[in-house]
Amino acid sequence: MIQGPLSPVEAVMVALSGFVIVFLMLALLWGVIIVVSRIVGGVEKKAAPVAAASQPAAAPVAAPAAAPAPAAAAPQVVLEGVDETQAACVMAIVSHETGIPLDQLVFKSIKAV
Amino acid sequence: MQFSFIGALEEILAGSGFAALFSDPRSLVMILIAFVLLFLGIGKKFEPLLLVPIAFGILLANFPLTGLLNAPANGASPGMLWVFYQGVEHAIYPSLIFLGIGAMTDFGPLIARPSSLLLGAAAQLGIFAAFLMALALGFAPNVAASIGIIGGADGPTAILVTSRLAADYLPAIAIAAYSYMALIPLIQPPLMRALTTKKEREIKMEQLRPVSKTEKIVFPIAVATVVILLIPDTAPLIGMLMLGNLFRECGVTDRLSDTAQNTLCNIVTIFLGLSVGCKAVAEKFLTMETIKIIVLGLIAFMFSTIGGLLFGKIMCKLSGGKVNPLIGSAGVSAVPMAARVSQVEGQKANPANFLLMHAMGPNVAGVIGSAVAAGFLLKVFGA
Repeated sequence: MIQGPLSPVEAVMVALSGFVIVFLMLALLWGVIIVVSRIVGGVEKKAAPVAAASQPAAAPVAAPAAAPAPAAAAPQVVLEGVDETQAACVMAIVSHETGIPLDQLVFKSIKAV
Repeated sequence: MQFSFIGALEEILAGSGFAALFSDPRSLVMILIAFVLLFLGIGKKFEPLLLVPIAFGILLANFPLTGLLNAPANGASPGMLWVFYQGVEHAIYPSLIFLGIGAMTDFGPLIARPSSLLLGAAAQLGIFAAFLMALALGFAPNVAASIGIIGGADGPTAILVTSRLAADYLPAIAIAAYSYMALIPLIQPPLMRALTTKKEREIKMEQLRPVSKTEKIVFPIAVATVVILLIPDTAPLIGMLMLGNLFRECGVTDRLSDTAQNTLCNIVTIFLGLSVGCKAVAEKFLTMETIKIIVLGLIAFMFSTIGGLLFGKIMCKLSGGKVNPLIGSAGVSAVPMAARVSQVEGQKANPANFLLMHAMGPNVAGVIGSAVAAGFLLKVFGA
């Protein structure tokens, strides 16, 4: 569109317009994401009771497959000076670094030093 | 006819590249620059995946008499590098690289905290600041726009915009963009510490909400639809970025996602690097303008970092101290390097701070932001 030289005022106007357009576009996307999240959340909430209602019939078949249930069977981890989120991060990092799956690791306590 | 071995040898040497090399010493300088860039790529590991093919492209392009850059004329075959360069000229390689980036990127943190998008927008400040400075230094508006886009800290975007607006400046701009991206861990931390207080850097952010698979699938479709309909010039970049992301998230195209992330991206990177390097011939590269571009590129990166940090501070204030402003600097694209810098600086201030996932939101928002800025500049200064 613009081929010739720009005056200082025109240059500032182009720069400002560009910056504002980038802002507006990303602000619009913010709105789009919120709308999409609400719609998807609503649809998934509606779908959840239907899925839950159909679950009891399938439960007897599914139960043997869900044998390990590590969360319920695992002993309680003693947390000292760390919250649950930090503890989860530590567990994930240890599992990643050692290459041992989480369900094969036993944590007795995690203590902040 | 008399044949002399020495005469034949003299004739071969006179027609060799060695003889032609000394007829224009500037080619020698370019070859030396290629060696330095190869050292930086291999020895110092500055974005080696791109710097090594770029440097080798410079080397090949500056060997005399190769005909590698010859355009097809009078029925003669074109040079190999001329053929490769068509992928840059027609925006094929940057778009395919964006396909790979999309397939590698998890937009989950951005969907979980969409306000990150504004940090990605604020961190495009450097594009427009450098654009104004380039104009003040006497560059033509289309060249100034190409220089400004270095501030987007996004190599493929810089290459796409420059190939369309100021192709002669492509090597200088691409080399500046990729070099500064490699130097982000050195450029950003001093600005981050200067513009934030220790208390701000110590802020621990709340855990992000989980994002459902459906949201992740709808996201690329929605973004492509909205952005491309509003700014059609963003179609090559945003279209491919979102297609790559859809491959990743939809769960039924794992092979395509894997190819886009790895094989295709690697192949295109080779062609892209060689194509950019081959444009760096002495008469266009060895100028004062190249030095100005390198300096302006650094300024662009710094302003982008400052823009993100200052907006991060605003968000920190508005949220009542829930947002750590350090994540603002990750709004310059450079995925995931800029987010890692936020994580490192946050943890220096508070060892219990884990900002990486929070910084990934603005980081990927920066990719979209720089593509939008590129679309704007192409619209305004394109033919």
